[in-house]
Amino acid sequence: TSLSTSAASAADADELQSEQQARSLLREGFLRCLLSAANKKVQFHMYEKVKVEATFGACDIDVLNFQVSDLHTPIGVQKEALIRSQDVISFNFDI
Amino acid sequence: MQRGWPLLGPLRWFRYVNKKVKVKARKDEEVRGWLFTVDPVSASMVLVDFRENGGVLVQVVMGHAVEEVQVLQEADRRTADHLQTMFLPPRTCILEP
Amino acid sequence: VSRRSTAGPPSERPGERRRAEMQKLYGKDAAKIMAMEAAMQLNFDRNCDLKQPKYWPVIPLKL
Repeated sequence: TSLSTSAASAADADELQSEQQARSLLREGFLRCLLSAANKKVQFHMYEKVKVEATFGACDIDVLNFQVSDLHTPIGVQKEALIRSQDVISFNFDI
Repeated sequence: MQRGWPLLGPLRWFRYVNKKVKVKARKDEEVRGWLFTVDPVSASMVLVDFRENGGVLVQVVMGHAVEEVQVLQEADRRTADHLQTMFLPPRTCILEP
Repeated sequence: VSRRSTAGPPSERPGERRRAEMQKLYGKDAAKIMAMEAAMQLNFDRNCDLKQPKYWPVIPLKL
C-alpha cells in the first residue's frame, strides 16, 4: 500500500541522513588530524620493513600522496619528497 | 573479524569511534589506541594514545593495510570528550617561527 | 538550500557534478567538507609547485 511505501521511504531517508552525518563527522575529523600533522616529525612504517622519518607537509584529498620534507631514507636525506600512500602501512606523530 | 574493513561504511565505522582498539595491519604490525576517526575516503584509522608525560601519540593506519580490528575498551565520558576536542582548533599554528 | 534538478544541459557547469556527488555523500555538511578539502588540496598543490618533490621510493614498494 501507499502507506507502507511512504513509511519505508521515510526510513530510507532517515538512514541516508544518518549515514551522511556519520560520514561528515568522520571526514572532518580526519582532515583536522592531517592539518595538525603539518610541520611535525612523522615516522612512516612502509612495506618491505622500511621505516623512515620526515617532516610532514600536506596530503591530497584522495589520500594518495603525502608531501614531506627532510625525508631520512636509508641512503641519505631527500630534501623534498612524495610518498605514495599505497607504500605506507601506518604513520605516527606526536602532538 | 574484519576482512573487509574498507567496505564497512560510515555507520559501522562510527560504532568503533571512541573505543580503544587493537588493529592488526599488514606485515605483522599491531597498533593500539583510542579510535578518533576513520577517513570515509581511504578507510584509514586515526588512533590516539595518551602518554604518561602528558603527550599524545597519533597513529594513522592506512585503510588498505587494516586486517583486523578488535575492541578492547569503551571510553568513559572524560576520555571521549578529550578525544573529540583533540584536533580543535584546526589551525593553531599557521604562523610558524 | 534547494538544488535545481533540471536535466543537465550539455553546457553543465564544471564542478556541478562534483557538487552533486558531495551533496549525496555528505548531505547538509557538503559545503563545509568541500571547503575544508579545497583548502587542503590547495595547500598540497602549492607545496608541490614550490618544492617540486620527487617520489620516494622511485619505484613503488607495493605493486
